[in-house]
Amino acid sequence: MTAVIETEELGKQYRGRWALAGCTLSIPAGHVVGLVGPNGAGKTTLLNLATGELAPSAGTVEVLGNRPAAGPAQLARVGYLAQDAPLYAGLPVADHLRLGAHLNPGWDADLARRRVERLGLDPKQKAGTLSGGQRAQLALTLAVAKRPELLILDEPVASLDPLARREFLQDLMESVAEQEVSVVLSSHLISDLERACDYVIVLVGSRVRVAGPVDDLLAAHHLLSGPRRDPASLPAGLQVIAASHTDVQSTLLVRASGPVLDPAWAVSEVGLEDLVLAYMRQAARPASRNDHRHLEVRK
Amino acid sequence: MIWLTWRQFRAQAITAAAALAVFAIVLAATASDLSGMYGSSGLLTCHGDACSGLASTFLSNLASGGGGFLIPGSAYAIMYFLSVLVILIAPAITGVFWGAPLIARELEAGTFRLTWNQSITRTRWLTVKLTLIGVAAMAVTEAFSLIQAWWAAPIGKAVGLGGGSSIFSETRFGWFVFPTHGITPLGYAAFGFALGVTAGLVIRRAIPAMAVTLAIFAAVQFITPLWIRPQLFPTSHTVAAIAAAGANVSLRANPKLAVTASVVPGQPGAWIISSEGVNAAGQPASTMPAACEQAVSDTLGSHRGPPTAGPGSAALNNCVASHGIRVAESYQPASHYWPLQWSETGMFLALALALAGYCFWRLNRRRS
Repeated sequence: MTAVIETEELGKQYRGRWALAGCTLSIPAGHVVGLVGPNGAGKTTLLNLATGELAPSAGTVEVLGNRPAAGPAQLARVGYLAQDAPLYAGLPVADHLRLGAHLNPGWDADLARRRVERLGLDPKQKAGTLSGGQRAQLALTLAVAKRPELLILDEPVASLDPLARREFLQDLMESVAEQEVSVVLSSHLISDLERACDYVIVLVGSRVRVAGPVDDLLAAHHLLSGPRRDPASLPAGLQVIAASHTDVQSTLLVRASGPVLDPAWAVSEVGLEDLVLAYMRQAARPASRNDHRHLEVRK
Repeated sequence: MIWLTWRQFRAQAITAAAALAVFAIVLAATASDLSGMYGSSGLLTCHGDACSGLASTFLSNLASGGGGFLIPGSAYAIMYFLSVLVILIAPAITGVFWGAPLIARELEAGTFRLTWNQSITRTRWLTVKLTLIGVAAMAVTEAFSLIQAWWAAPIGKAVGLGGGSSIFSETRFGWFVFPTHGITPLGYAAFGFALGVTAGLVIRRAIPAMAVTLAIFAAVQFITPLWIRPQLFPTSHTVAAIAAAGANVSLRANPKLAVTASVVPGQPGAWIISSEGVNAAGQPASTMPAACEQAVSDTLGSHRGPPTAGPGSAALNNCVASHGIRVAESYQPASHYWPLQWSETGMFLALALALAGYCFWRLNRRRS
């Protein structure tokens, strides 16, 4: 099956600064992918490279097996909801739907009309006077009614209040279930994505820190607590992502290739939020990269 | 895409149509009065030299309020001036208000992300926008020009017959008349629009792009008649007697001699680009003959202004002529009018196409 987004050593440089560097990814189809990272991590850059708004400074990017925005056919296969949901402030809701109908051969007018009715948008209301939630919903309507194979959403809920946030994501999930579309959405808040995503990419400081299906990631990570010991003394196959120590106790978040059998440790499961935060914190401390040493077992 | 272009352009299109309608109504309402005055001026039946005198009378009546039946004559001077001004600035207006915001507004508002992610390439988006709105800008400017030319036809004919009075003395080669008549308005409109679009794409902010568009366009409009238009076609040269060339002798920074011709003998309607005094050997004569000093002081009279004497007198002209000084003129003959129109229009159309080509290249290469 073709990857929805496949990148190879992808990088983008702005005036000497790398906004994204060494990004190698292969996102399989059929997922709702959460792209998580702090503000300025390079999420928007990665998505803009995938929509073809930007050209890469290094490496390659392919979307659904083609160069991004290569032509009308490729554009028709990707729906994009940009940050802050740009709309023509002076055009009414109905004209935005007409715009979609005129510019997309695969436009599903029925779907668009039903969505607008369900959302309770007045077709005659100008987009500039809509609330933030309504704007996002209208922009999403435009993106889904073109019937894309891949839907890319850049911080779709960042500017919404908690209620609008939940409604938007719920509505998105319903559309996804109906249409069997792959989705990539970015956010700087993991809590937004926890409910929606089954695949996660953590992007910090312009680099991908971890990526994979949520279930696999949760199965591979464990929280260990036990008597205080040096993280360096752990058996091979355990990679320490985060460590905290008190005088007598150590708590470690580890990535393990198999089950952790050492009885000295109390092993518990990790939540997605803790896991992502641990990777973000690890990336924020460059020196800690040296912690992933694989040392021999010491009995 | 055509629908979206029209939807976004609708308000401007209606404004332009309204302006055009007002312009047409005002001129149409006075056109019969103007041609009636022309009819009663005797210019329809005159022959030979009589015509130029009649034409001057007709034009000075128009300029100073000799009057028609409907409105005072001096109003025609104002209307003539304003109508030419409208054609002159129409390409700047469309460049500034239609061209500059075309891409810049989309970039400012972020809406380019909406449109460029529909199933349509940026190239097609820009092609449709440039073509439809560019053609509209050209059509509006040319429509202003044609309406004005129809209305001002009597004035043009009188000037062509050798008449002239204050504002109504520009021939069709004049600074204000040439770029506002014939086909040149098409070239200026296309250039102004493409300039605005390019400025908007490069600067990415609508208001600064509008200011830059206006500044560059005004500079081009100023430079073209001074340095470019005379060079578009090889100029012709002739040496004529001062009287035959209708020349006036004057002093510029004493004792420098200046001879300014007003006609080219045997070349009615020619555009004189430059003229100077030459001696019998054909060398430039830049000093006032000593024998003519008396005529100079007569001309200056008791006037104690700057040492640059103004209008020459017949005595001074005759004195200078009697010392063997003639006038050398370089000019474009009247027959070069249409070749010059085509050259200038073609030049601006080519510039517009080059700017448009740059926009396409930049839009696709820089990826916004």
